[in-house]
Amino acid sequence: MKKAITVFAVAALVLVATGLWFFSAQGTLKPFDLLSFGVIFIVLAFAIFVGYKRLTSAKRGEPAEDELSKKVLLKTSSTSYYISLYLWVAILFIRDRVNLDTEEILGAGILGMALSFAICWIIYNFRGIKNE
Amino acid sequence: MNNRIKEFRARYNLTQDDLAKKVNVRRETIVFLEKNKYNPSLKLACDIARVFESKIEDIFLFD
Repeated sequence: MKKAITVFAVAALVLVATGLWFFSAQGTLKPFDLLSFGVIFIVLAFAIFVGYKRLTSAKRGEPAEDELSKKVLLKTSSTSYYISLYLWVAILFIRDRVNLDTEEILGAGILGMALSFAICWIIYNFRGIKNE
Repeated sequence: MNNRIKEFRARYNLTQDDLAKKVNVRRETIVFLEKNKYNPSLKLACDIARVFESKIEDIFLFD
């Protein structure tokens, strides 16, 4: 229950911060910013889904984490880390060819890492982990 | 590895939820086990075998 509430609290904070950013930057939004908003909302939707799952598990009296969920998290972390290495190499390659600010490059990298984590988690969570 | 959890569960008249609570895992884990999408740890296999009062090899079939 505690972990589910933490997930919702963090998601709410991110939503508020994104809202403030959106309203303060209105009129000066670039296509890259809109793409960032899209990725943030995807990651937020993922966080809300995870929080909801944890909340329903807690309501049913199930443990918040068991061996399968821990294994899924471990596999997700290792795969997304592996992907993020390639992502940063790709970003460094693009940086020399596209005119972007350092903040934008860092933001893209962090959002890309979050997105790769969310995608890996969804794949492993629905596909399962077999024969390992 | 295949398993006969579904068959044993029906024999003992247990729902997935009941079995999950007895072995202290989430219902999702039982779903994945029954679909052969997850191989349990030795501890979980032992716990499941204990619930069904059987040997591990009667429930989990090694190819």
